Amino acid sequence: MSFDLDEGFRQTILRMAGGEVQTCIQCGTCSASCPTAHLMNPSIRKLIKLCLEGKRDEALMNDTIWLCTSCLLCTVRCPRGIRPKAVVSACKDLAEKEGIKTKDAAYEQIFSKQIREYGRISELPLTGEFLLVYPQGMVQSMEMGLELMPKGKLGLGVEKIQGRDEVKRIMEELGK
Amino acid sequence: MRLAYYPGCVSRSTGREMDASTRAVCSALGIALEELEDWNCCGATHVSNELVAVGLAARNMAQTDLAIMTPCSICYSNLRAAVERLEEPETRARVNAVLTKKYGGAEIRHALDVILETLAKDDDVISIPLKDLKVAPYYGCLLTRPRGVDSPEFPMLLERLLKTLHAEPLDFRLKTFCCGGPIFMPQEKAAEDTAFMILSEAKRAGAEVIVTVCPLCHFMLDAKQRSLEQKRSEKIGIPVLYVTQLVGIALGLGPEELGLNMNSVSPLPLVERVYERHSKFI
Repeated sequence: MSFDLDEGFRQTILRMAGGEVQTCIQCGTCSASCPTAHLMNPSIRKLIKLCLEGKRDEALMNDTIWLCTSCLLCTVRCPRGIRPKAVVSACKDLAEKEGIKTKDAAYEQIFSKQIREYGRISELPLTGEFLLVYPQGMVQSMEMGLELMPKGKLGLGVEKIQGRDEVKRIMEELGK
Repeated sequence: MRLAYYPGCVSRSTGREMDASTRAVCSALGIALEELEDWNCCGATHVSNELVAVGLAARNMAQTDLAIMTPCSICYSNLRAAVERLEEPETRARVNAVLTKKYGGAEIRHALDVILETLAKDDDVISIPLKDLKVAPYYGCLLTRPRGVDSPEFPMLLERLLKTLHAEPLDFRLKTFCCGGPIFMPQEKAAEDTAFMILSEAKRAGAEVIVTVCPLCHFMLDAKQRSLEQKRSEKIGIPVLYVTQLVGIALGLGPEELGLNMNSVSPLPLVERVYERHSKFI
């Protein structure tokens, strides 16, 4: 783990999540509003601090960024107009690009891969591919499968759109 | 009224009843829906790169000149957030550089908002008033965040709709508390904790039904309800309806059209109760 200030990392976060991030006063409203705060270490407040201090490894290698439910309450309430969820998203994007291998990163990558290849998400193939990486999710998935299948709510096929090339271009060109 | 319709990916799988009831209710209210051509996934909450998410939304929005309606709060929030970001000239230029049809602005509406507006003009169409029905209005997060049709902290849109339907909206304390849905696959326990809190609170409040505006909230509260009951050894047994399903019942539409047979906790006994109460009033 490095504790050196990584100015490049700090600048990347500011570019991705907005320059206003550097006006953070560490009040903790984001953490106090977060529905999964009790499971997080570092807290969202601390995560922002780590980003501003350029502590790349600590900011990217933690469970916090994967526990965010994207509820956006932090973003609605921040008195400085910062979007803490955008900081989380930026960290997730950078962690994925670095090839961090966790179940959470894998889920996001499989999700994105489906969009890139087909243009839409089909839940059964998505779950199937995720279980190859995270077999521990099998019990929950079987339960849900048994619940949804008889109701005709799990299509076996894959939904594909015509404009797959365009979607691929969006993901590759804009995601650089 | 003519609107472009963005069903969202779940309308083809776990949210089939959301799609069916949206189409049925709109048809009954004279709202003509034209499905967006060749629509793509909005990225939901799983595309971490913001610009990519904006690009995915922009491709959808560039397919039509009509206002776009979606019944899914996740799609709704993503499209609205993208509209805001695309007001920045630099972002718009970067996105349009990769799009086939160029984005030139869009109006995004949620089915709830469209239906409420229509019923406010003419509530004679409500043939089965939901008299005395105790409903927990559950908004979840993304209908109103980051900025939507109502206050992100204390929305009242659903309560207004419920009153229009002659139902009784409960004072539901956790109405904007996150269901945990977006992390339910990799972080099962964390997601289930929040979902169960919402269900317990609805039970404590005396809800006969919970109404939702998002397919992921619906999944967490309805499809997972049985499993959560077993894990926590507590019976909940409260049906969870999409707002479009509840409106459909009040419009006198049949269970088939509204996909009521697809809900996990069967709402059919509740529908019978509604009809029984109604017959006593007339």
